[in-house]
Formats: sequence, C-alpha cells, structure tokens
Amino acid sequence: MPEAPPSVGRTLATALPAALAIAVFGVIFGASATAVIGPGLTLVMSLVVFSGATQFATLALVVAGAAAPALLATAAILNVRHLVMGAVLRPILGSSRLRRGLLAWFMLDETFGFTIVAADGRTAGPDREAVAERTLFVSGMLCYLAWVSGTLLGIAGAGVRGVEGVAAALFPVLFVGLAALTARTTSLAVRAAAAAGLTAVVCFAAPDWRALAPAVAGLLVALPGDPRPRPHPSDAA
Amino acid sequence: MSLLTVLALAAITYGSRLGAMVLLPKPSPRIETVLARVPAAIFASLATLSLISPERQVADVPVLVATLAAVIAAPRRSFALCLAAGIAGYLLSVVVGL
Repeated sequence: MPEAPPSVGRTLATALPAALAIAVFGVIFGASATAVIGPGLTLVMSLVVFSGATQFATLALVVAGAAAPALLATAAILNVRHLVMGAVLRPILGSSRLRRGLLAWFMLDETFGFTIVAADGRTAGPDREAVAERTLFVSGMLCYLAWVSGTLLGIAGAGVRGVEGVAAALFPVLFVGLAALTARTTSLAVRAAAAAGLTAVVCFAAPDWRALAPAVAGLLVALPGDPRPRPHPSDAA
Repeated sequence: MSLLTVLALAAITYGSRLGAMVLLPKPSPRIETVLARVPAAIFASLATLSLISPERQVADVPVLVATLAAVIAAPRRSFALCLAAGIAGYLLSVVVGL
C-alpha cells in the first residue's frame, strides 16, 4: 500500500528545525549587513534575493570594496548549483510552467532536500507531483518567513552573541542532515562521500573554483553506474 | 551597493532557480535515474565547502566535532537528529575545551 502523503503539519514539522537555523542566519545577516549597507537595502535584499549564500558572499565582497560586476559574477557562479537542483526537481513536479515558475522562488538547498525526500518512493504521476509541489511550497514559505523575520530582528538590533559559534557549526551540520535524508541507499551514501572528497580537493588545489564544486561534483559522482530506472516496488505486485 | 545591484542579484538568483525548473522538458527515465543520484552528493559537497574557507583554512575544532557528530547520526536518516547531534557535539567540544 502506498505511503499516505505527508500532511501540511508534518511538512512544517520536518522543515521547522531548518527554518529555525535559517532565522538565526537571518539575524546574523540583518545585524552585519545593516552596518554595511543600511537597514533599507538589507531588508530589500532579504525580501527579493532570499539566498543566504548569495547575500553573505555579496556582503563580504562589499566590505572588501568589490564593485557591482564582481558581486554579480560571484552570485552567478554561486547559483550554478540551482540549475542542477532545478533539473533534479523537474521530473517530480507537475506540467504547469506557471506553477513551476512560482515554486522556483522557494527552491533553497533545504527545501530542495525536503521535496526530494517527500517524493521519494512514490510512483511517478499526479500524486507524486502534488506531494512534491506542496512540500516545496510549504517548506519554502516557512523558510522565507524565517529568513525575513530573522533579518528584521537583526536590523532591529537583536544579537546572537553566545551562539555565533553554534551558528557557524550549523552550516555543515545542516548539510550533513540533508545529505543523510537524501542518501537513501548505500550507493548514494558512497557517491556523497566521493563528492565530499572531490570538493575538499578543489578547495585546497583550486580554491578559485570552489563555488562550482557542488554542481560539478554532484554531477560527476552521479554518472557512473547503470542509468536504467529501477522498477518501483509497487510495479512488482 | 545600490538598489539596482540588489535587484540584479535577485534576478540572477531567481533566474538560476527558474532556469532548469521551467525551461527544461521532462527528462527521460534514464536521465531522471542519473539526476536522482545528485542531491545527497550536492549536500555532502556543500558541507565540505562550509568546513574549508576560501583561504584554505579548516574550520575550528568545535565545528569539526559538530560535523562529525552529525555524520555519526546520519545513518538514522533523521534531519532533526543530525541537527541535535551536531549541536550537542559542538557544545560538548566547547565544554571540554577542545
């Protein structure tokens, strides 16, 4: 019997720990960006960019005195992984381009992982598409609210003194958690370990290319092996 | 930084999210099989990136211990458990003075 689709409440509960972490990052961004670019631009940035990686990287470049072309080029390189992630999500979403276009707004690393897991093990078709789209929307909305609320708190002067260290540890821990969720077989876990190794090599050997590592390593380790789809368990019945 | 630059950053970021999700046709089952192998690898790569700075400096010991704790919890495939293990690992490391 197919597993019941996750309810909105269950999706919210799954995404809540990530949203709390995102809110903490939002406070840090709001507090640090306000001192550099002012409260107005800080808030606008969180409202319209909605990407911690892009916003923190941009802020660091502004502090270092970089001009607009460098900021835009960095954003473009950092976001290459979104193209790969979008290609992964494409088959499990519905056929409406408009709906996919609106849902694209909510595609973060975290919501991408939750959507993949929610659709995992379901037979391709309208039910799987509905589950994937709902998960992306619900978890994305929660994360968006967390990011903007955190930014507002940071702008208003809230601090995270005492938890900065934990916040620094949250980045790798979040990604390990998402890798754990999505590595549902030993083969996928081995590929993930290989991607981590490749990324470490790039970080030390060619640090200028490190921003491209997730997309490139992710694709490289996915290629080996039989590309024929495995039959779904329900097909055997 | 100007408002125009912020809007351009937003356009680049949203465009990257939009690109593959909207413009790509539905892939063949073979390509879908290969793409399904990508997510865990991307997350493992991102975790590694956050442990090594652009200046090739490895993260502080408490952050490494937090990550190791999350990796140890990973076989349970629980996102919340990984987060809890990571935070516990970090706090333990700080308490014992690593």
